[in-house]
Parts: sequence; structure tokens; C-alpha cells
Amino acid sequence: MTAWHVDDETLRRYVERTDSVAEGASVEQHLLTCAQCRTRVNSAATAFGLAAVWERTRDAVEIPLPSPFERLLRAVGLPAHEARLVAVASAFRGVWLVGVTAVLAFAALAAMIGHVRGLWLFLALAPLMPCLVVAFSYDRRWDPALAPEMVTPYPALRLVLLRTIAVLALALPALLLFGLVVPDAAPFAWLLPAVGFVAVVLAASTWVSPLNAATVVSAGWFAAVWVVGARSATPAAMLQTRTQVAFLVLASASFGIFLVRGRHLRQLRPWR
Amino acid sequence: MTASISLRGVGRTFGATRALADIELDLEPGVIGLLGPNGAGKTTLLRLLATALPPSKGAVRVLGRDPDVPAERTDIRRRLGYLPQEVGFPRGFTAFAFVDYIALLKEWTEPTARHAEVRRVLDQVGLSDAAAKRIRAMSGGQRRRVALAQALLGSPPVLILDEPTTGVDPEQRVTLRTVLAEIARTSIVVLSTHQTEDVAALCERVVVLDQGRIRYDGQVTELVRQAADRVWLADQPDPAATVSWRTGTGRYRNVAAQARAGVEHVEPSLEDAYLLLRGQLPNPRAEEVAS
Repeated sequence: MTAWHVDDETLRRYVERTDSVAEGASVEQHLLTCAQCRTRVNSAATAFGLAAVWERTRDAVEIPLPSPFERLLRAVGLPAHEARLVAVASAFRGVWLVGVTAVLAFAALAAMIGHVRGLWLFLALAPLMPCLVVAFSYDRRWDPALAPEMVTPYPALRLVLLRTIAVLALALPALLLFGLVVPDAAPFAWLLPAVGFVAVVLAASTWVSPLNAATVVSAGWFAAVWVVGARSATPAAMLQTRTQVAFLVLASASFGIFLVRGRHLRQLRPWR
Repeated sequence: MTASISLRGVGRTFGATRALADIELDLEPGVIGLLGPNGAGKTTLLRLLATALPPSKGAVRVLGRDPDVPAERTDIRRRLGYLPQEVGFPRGFTAFAFVDYIALLKEWTEPTARHAEVRRVLDQVGLSDAAAKRIRAMSGGQRRRVALAQALLGSPPVLILDEPTTGVDPEQRVTLRTVLAEIARTSIVVLSTHQTEDVAALCERVVVLDQGRIRYDGQVTELVRQAADRVWLADQPDPAATVSWRTGTGRYRNVAAQARAGVEHVEPSLEDAYLLLRGQLPNPRAEEVAS
């Protein structure tokens, strides 16, 4: 038995875990020897603590954990709610990223060991990857929550741009990295075509669905590579300065069209 | 200001197909039921009200705003809940994650308030115990309730529901009716359904669409009253009846356009009145009508 007891205020702080370490240790020592205070702790815990514990448990079970990509977006400064809106797109789920990386790795390997033929393969595939991922990131067939029926006030243009920037932030360093292993070509030669195709898909998606736009762009690029490949022994022609400038002009013009026609975005917002 | 919706001379075509024609409608708070056969234009009308589709002609005003003006359309969407006929769910999402995602698109950026709101709407549709369950593991009725939950976010003054009770079990349907009746005290709730019992239980007003036109717009009780003395039971189907069918007792329920004397009349239901109204309508035209 003991002559003194924990006062109500100290007990409340102990139960709510807002006390100091020293005070908490003192209370616990007392509780070891005082049955009366242990009983009071039980009652107080029921009153103060269970609701908070239940809330914490519920949060842990129900609130979805951010994916590694979402955490990355938050780390680079994107607000939590926008990081979630970007990261939930199908295109950013693991299976897609693994698939795109595998295709790029395969193409880079082919370029490394197959040389000229492999180089053509890399040239045909690498610049298209970012625009395909962009298309998947807001085409309603791959992201059903963005179906036209989901009429929400969030600006469609902002959502598409955020997802596009996220794709480019992931894809361009990857292209550079894989480009390093490709012989006889500057590692950054793929960047402007990739950015140009992304801009074309954005602009075209104000008329047609993003995936249809990406399909047409891909078919056009394959055809161009095929034609140039039939005439030239090496892919150097596709990587000349004037070609790079042409892609820069294409990217700028397409992006301008996209910004002007943003309110006509297809699939994402159905009002037309 | 009282919430209101008005449509003036509204029509909608898809190519050569006319889905809606000359729609004149004023809606005030309450539950308004939308009835009609497949292809009558119900879904098209709901999509127009939900700003998911513009009219080909005529004027739509929702809460006094013009959805044709982008800023006003966004303002409408801030105060609108919409349950489409079909809702796609992203792979791997739980009920909580899906409703939380839609809440983000509805500009609920503060996490504590958003999570509380998501829990509130999941609780309203009876899914608080299944919040952490993956949607692909849910039954059709549960998925429908998840879809309904996202429409209830923020207690919107306008709620557009396309077949909200499809696949939902009877017990939950009764619960949902209670929820919708409560919301309709201050909000406009427009629901399309094939369940006449939902309309009879919930709605004061019913709009019957057929071939893209409004065929009836008025009180449910008035529509039912029009079927008085036109519904009777008999041991055989009556050749004079517009429709007749065998009931669970083995007797035939007959519904006719003309009042009939000397028969065993029964209290008409909304379904009887609706069938009667349909029977009086002109035969479907040759031209195709989209839903």
C-alpha cells in the first residue's frame, strides 16, 4: 500500500501519452504497488484512450499506403494529394514500369550486341516508350476511374500535365542511361524525339483518345525508321542535328496546340 | 437559395440517332424518379444533368449555372454527385481507396477531413465494415454501393443516380431509400430505375420517358390513380386486357386501357399504371433511339 495516489491530471496525461518520459516512469512505478490507481487507469483508459486507439487502428487498416513512386513524388515536393492523383494512374503501377523497362533493356542489349540491326531496333522503340506511357496514364480504357461519367471539378489539364511530367521525369533519365550502352550514338540523341512524340500525343488527344494518338504516332515512327533504314546503312541519318531541330520544332508546336486546345481533352472530360 | 434545375427545349442526337427531343423540365429538391423502357433516353438525360454530355440543342441550367460555360460547369461539378450506369474501378483498389481517390478529384485535399468524409459515405451505404476490402473481391451489389458512396461525397445539392439499386439486396435497398429520402429534404435527387417499387417508395414525382420524349410528368399517386378500375384478377388471361400475367396465387392479373365493370378489381400499383401508360403510347418508331 502507499499513502499517496496519482492525481487526475497526471493520470490523464499518462493515459493519453502526453506526459514526459520521467513522469510516465514515475507513474508506472507507482502503479506496480497501487491497486487503487491501477483501477483508475483502467477506467481512464476506457474513457480517454480507446477512441484514439480505434482511430489509429482504423487508419492503419483502411488508408492505403503510398506506393514507392508516390513517396518519390512527395519527396521531390509535390503535395500529398497531387502525388496520389499522379501515382494511381495505371501507367505507374509496377507491372507497366517493369514492362517498359524490360523493352528498353532488351532494345539496348540488342543495340549493344547486334550493332547496326540492334541500333535500328533501339531507335525504333526507345523514343516511343514515354509517349505510350503518357497515353496509358490518362486513357480511360486503362484508367477506368477517369471514365467520362466521373464528372469532377479537378482540372483535367493539370492532371494530364502532372502525369506527363512524371512520365518524362522517369523516362528521360532511363533513356539516357540505356543510351549510354548503345554504340556509335550520343546517349541524348533519343531525348528530343521522345519529348516530341509525347507532345504530339498530348496535342492529338484533344481530338482523339490518347491511346489512339499514341498508336498512330508509333505506326508513323516505325514507318519512318523503316524507310530510312531501307535507304541508309546506319541510323546516323535519324540522329543528325537537323533532325533533332525538327523534333524540337515538332515538340514546341504540339505543346502549344495542346495548351490552346486543352479544354477539348478527349476521354478525360466528356463535355464536347 | 433553393436548388433547382431547368431544361428548355433540350434535344440530343448521336449522329442520325435522336436520343432526346424537346425536353422541358423543372426540378426542385425532392426525389424525382425517371422511368422508361430501355432506349427511352433516361441515361442520356441523366448525363446531360450531370454535365457529362452537352445538349445538341436547347438550354440546361443547373443551380442557376450554364454548363456550357467552363467556369460555371466546374462550379456545378463542385456541387454535384453522379452515379453513372457503369463505373470502372482501378485494379487493386479497396473501397476506401477508390472513394478517397474520387474525393481527391472533388478537391477534398485536407487528409483528416477527407478520410472522415470517406468513412461517412461508406457508412451511409452500409460498407463501413468492408472499407478495406478489395473491390474485385466484392459482390455486384457491394460494388454498386461503393459507386454510390462516391456520389454522396460532400452531401451535394444535386444527386444524379443511374440505376442506384441494381444488384443491391432488398435489405440494403430499404436502407438506401432511407438515406436518399433524408438527402432529398434539401437536395435534388434524380434517379433512373427499372424498379417501380423504388419509385413508389421514394418519389413524389415521376417522369416517364419514351422514345426520347417525356410522356408523363407528375405525381406518382396521380399516375397510379389513372389505373383505378383498370386492374383486376381473373382465373384466365382476359382478351380485353392490354397486358396480363400469372401471379404467384395462380390467378391472372389483367391491366386494360378501359375501365372494366363486373370483375374483381384490385388496388393498382405503380407498375400497373406504368404498363398501362406504356400500352397507350404509339408503337416504337422505325427510327432507332439510343439510351
